Amino acid sequence: MNDILTRSLVSSRTFKPETLTALLVLLGAVLMMLAMKVLNPGFGSVQQIAAILTTSIFLVVAAYGQGLVILLGGIDLSIGVVMSIAGMMIAGLTNGSNEALTWALPVTLISCTAIGLLNGLGIAFLKIPPFIMTLANGTAFFGVALGVTAGSSQRTVAPALQVLMSAQIGGIPVPIGLIGCFLVAGSLLQSRTTEGRKLYAIGSSLAAARVVGLPIEALTIAAYGVSGLCAGIAGLLLAGYSSSATLDMGDPFLMPTIAAVVIGGACVTGGRGLYFGTFAGAIFLSALSTIITVLSLSQGWRNIIQGGIIIIALILQTKQWYLLSIVNRQLPGKQSLDGVLPQNSEV
Amino acid sequence: MSQSTRGQRRPIPSSAFAALLYGIMFAIYLLYSPSAISLAGITDLLNNTIVLAIAAAGLTLVILTAELDLSSVGVIAVTNVIVATVSTKVPGGAFITLILVCLIGLLVGLINGWLVAFLGLQSLAATLGTMIACQGVALLILEAPGGEVAAFIMNRLTDTVFGFMPVAGLILLLAVAGWLLFRRSRLGIAIYAVGTDALAARLSGLNVKATKWLAFGLAGMAYGLAGYMLGAQTGTGDPRISNSFLLYVFAAVAIGGTPLGGGRGGVIGSVVGAGILTVMQKLLFAVGVAEFYTNIFNGVIMIVAILFGNLSAILSLRQKATMSQHRGGQLVPN
Amino acid sequence: MTTFQWLVTVAAVCTLIAPEGRLYAQNEQKYKVFLDMSYSGNTWQAAAANGIKALAATPPYDKMIEFKTIISGTDVQRQISDIQSMIAAGAKAIILYPLSPTALNRVIHQACSKGIVVFTYDSTVTEPLAYNVSNITARYGANTAQWMVNKLGGKGEIIFNHGVAGTAVTKTYDEQAYAIFKKYPGIKIVGDFYGNWNDATSQEEVSKILAAHPNVDGIWTVDGTYGSLQAVVQNRPNRLVVIAGQSNNGYRLMMADPALQAKGLQGISSSAGPAVGGYAFKVMMEVLLSKKKLTNHNVEYPLPWVEAKDIKMCSGDRFEGGCNVFPEGKVPPLFLDTALDPKFLPELSLDAVQTGNPAAGAMVQPLPDPKYADNLPGINCQECKAPADALEPNLVSPIPVAK
Repeated sequence: MNDILTRSLVSSRTFKPETLTALLVLLGAVLMMLAMKVLNPGFGSVQQIAAILTTSIFLVVAAYGQGLVILLGGIDLSIGVVMSIAGMMIAGLTNGSNEALTWALPVTLISCTAIGLLNGLGIAFLKIPPFIMTLANGTAFFGVALGVTAGSSQRTVAPALQVLMSAQIGGIPVPIGLIGCFLVAGSLLQSRTTEGRKLYAIGSSLAAARVVGLPIEALTIAAYGVSGLCAGIAGLLLAGYSSSATLDMGDPFLMPTIAAVVIGGACVTGGRGLYFGTFAGAIFLSALSTIITVLSLSQGWRNIIQGGIIIIALILQTKQWYLLSIVNRQLPGKQSLDGVLPQNSEV
Repeated sequence: MSQSTRGQRRPIPSSAFAALLYGIMFAIYLLYSPSAISLAGITDLLNNTIVLAIAAAGLTLVILTAELDLSSVGVIAVTNVIVATVSTKVPGGAFITLILVCLIGLLVGLINGWLVAFLGLQSLAATLGTMIACQGVALLILEAPGGEVAAFIMNRLTDTVFGFMPVAGLILLLAVAGWLLFRRSRLGIAIYAVGTDALAARLSGLNVKATKWLAFGLAGMAYGLAGYMLGAQTGTGDPRISNSFLLYVFAAVAIGGTPLGGGRGGVIGSVVGAGILTVMQKLLFAVGVAEFYTNIFNGVIMIVAILFGNLSAILSLRQKATMSQHRGGQLVPN
Repeated sequence: MTTFQWLVTVAAVCTLIAPEGRLYAQNEQKYKVFLDMSYSGNTWQAAAANGIKALAATPPYDKMIEFKTIISGTDVQRQISDIQSMIAAGAKAIILYPLSPTALNRVIHQACSKGIVVFTYDSTVTEPLAYNVSNITARYGANTAQWMVNKLGGKGEIIFNHGVAGTAVTKTYDEQAYAIFKKYPGIKIVGDFYGNWNDATSQEEVSKILAAHPNVDGIWTVDGTYGSLQAVVQNRPNRLVVIAGQSNNGYRLMMADPALQAKGLQGISSSAGPAVGGYAFKVMMEVLLSKKKLTNHNVEYPLPWVEAKDIKMCSGDRFEGGCNVFPEGKVPPLFLDTALDPKFLPELSLDAVQTGNPAAGAMVQPLPDPKYADNLPGINCQECKAPADALEPNLVSPIPVAK
């Protein structure tokens, strides 16, 4: 048992299977787009790729928090609501001008983090299953926001945010640059800091983590807090992108964050997954939805294709896990982990 | 498989605490709305509960094996639109459609089970995929809400029999009876064993994969039945999925005392949990909670109910621990 | 049970009983009227609900009715359950936004059989005893598609922005619009997506399609219009589009902006407006108070239809003197101008539709006779036939098809 912990806590020089998964997912996205280009020459222009990348930033940011939480073996169902609340708050507080931005920004982000921390408290101390806690919390705060705003859309968002989302530096849209920075920062935080590796350890084996004395409650609360923060940032960006905010603007993002994390190779029972994988999953989903749109299918077929591709992506990952576990002896394969460690699913 | 319990007290199942909570909530509801205790009132309440109850019962089987299943709403959408499109078009439609939806539910469930148990996919992700695909199928069958459910289904199944028994209540009693038999069967006990400790179950000779496969299959069949009952309640088909319904199904299971980690709990608790969620809505209306608070109360009450369930689980664990000392450590299903 | 568990139970019970007490006290003089919302938390629903609430609190109705709003949520069984609760609570009139045209028929029939007046707004039901007030029969799809074809001279590339899949509205309007576009061989739909009436989604999807089809000439939407147009303004600012859609204030301002018109923007502001809720409420109250008797249960609320030349800036808080748009900054860009209706709902002010509070000094004005709606089977009637020209535009004359 200590073996696995040590391995996660010490930086591993071996090639992580998760990296390969992520690369494969990205490759899948690229292949899909190439196939589309063959069928439809207008598809896949630089502008369209740029558009796909730009619009994927919301999912990339929000899915980071979801990924951290899933790493712990939990799940966060309040992300959609928090995104909407962030958008409504920043729009309402800035009211179309940049003046209030300096204090409105931190206030909004702190509120979103607070909702996340509340999730974490309920899960860590009251032992409420994450599924229910985040769902109930999200519902309750949706109710608060509904009552306070009476559902009306808010004012325009501060111009600075709008410019952020639409400007270009050297021909590259700013959001794409932001995605790159976020990817680097997020990956480092998750995989290279000690805190991050403790999350992996907790996700792999709660019992072992307890034995070693990791601060499980504190890290759980922190992870959910970060998830709230990421949802808040994503909400801010979304408000800047669409120049206004509504109370349902975050709803379309919840299921995709889960799908992105899972397609990217994270194990929903916890303990495995790179942010790079989630990132690849988000890009994959964004490309997939564009392709589905281009195919001009009825919604029924769109859903069937989406569901089918999720399953195919999962199947491909499992096959590859199995191969790698044989090849790469440093990290134990999925099979031998099962049954060695006590059950650890806390959804 | 059955052990002698002569002279030993059985532990209080966690579903009993859920039933207590239900009783309290119903009492308050009754206080504000005296018509609740009339036959019409009770029939309406049971009709409102039954779809959620059957779906939660199905989900319980999967959760007991320590897996998750998001596909319930997908199967319900498909079977619901099938009932609305087929039941009036074939003679003996009600019965034939019933068989059809059970088979379709079973099929989807077995596919889920195959993906999870034999291919080793994560259940959350795999069933998310099947749910989305099922909704696609539902949209292809019926583009917009409509269709027509056979009069027999719509009228008889929501009515009463023998003058005093709501049909929905009868169905629930049958489901509970079925469960009480099932949990003592080999498959039932295997499900508990697999959920508690899959490795130990495998080492004791149980076929873990087949157990999970069948659990998913049976769950799918339950969802099919739930879609059929939804057709009875609404008289029509609707291809859209209500995301809030999906979350209610999970909430019903958790509130009923079946932890999402598997190995403990049971269908009875989930049915009561479904009842709690349904009567909660009635309660909030009757008490006159202002619309501002509805969502907030929904969230808070769910948390309170879970806490309630947690306390009962701790209590029942303590009882089991005490009694296992007398009986040599064998687990009794709930 | 342990003492602790008893305490928790008692505490929970107390918090439930304490604040409200008995709300539904018997007061024989007042009619109990319920507003049942299903969707909530979006601009349209909020404006409609606020309009209804404001009217319910406007004299003389404020003294005559006991008004309560219920949010049932998006699960149809919950809406059924809430309507049953309303029947049990002694409702005299219910106005609701139904989640399905058919699933609620049985419970609505129950209500009507007990003498309750049941009205729906915008979304309709096929139950014959219920009253529907909507402009779903006003052929939005056919009219806007024909308008676009006329402006494009019968040829061009179009992006099609569907609403929420699986709803009667989307099916009806899509059918009408496709039928019109198909008639003209020069019109090509190069991309379609499901914007789900959401502006952010619409903006994202249009920007992706635009990147692949840089020569798009027009965008057809039901909602999400502002977002769709934003995508064009940001990515192709020097060549705008012909666009049909909603009546957001920001969209109307853009339509009327000469600088944008010079870049090719031609817009039509139509689509169902939240004022249909307030209108339905007033009709319902007149029926309830026996001031009016309707010969047909389906009432058509006129389709808003504002072109760029009709746009006039308002100086105050009301739509007076023919003005129909507010200056920038007075309201958010997504504010729906069709929440106000100077002809049928003069009692409503800007504040009323934003907060639900009645306008000071307003009195409920009587309504003119209603216009009755066409039959649309599966939408507002069961055993009925649609008129033969149900897919034809009736507000716009079609241009001839180029040979």
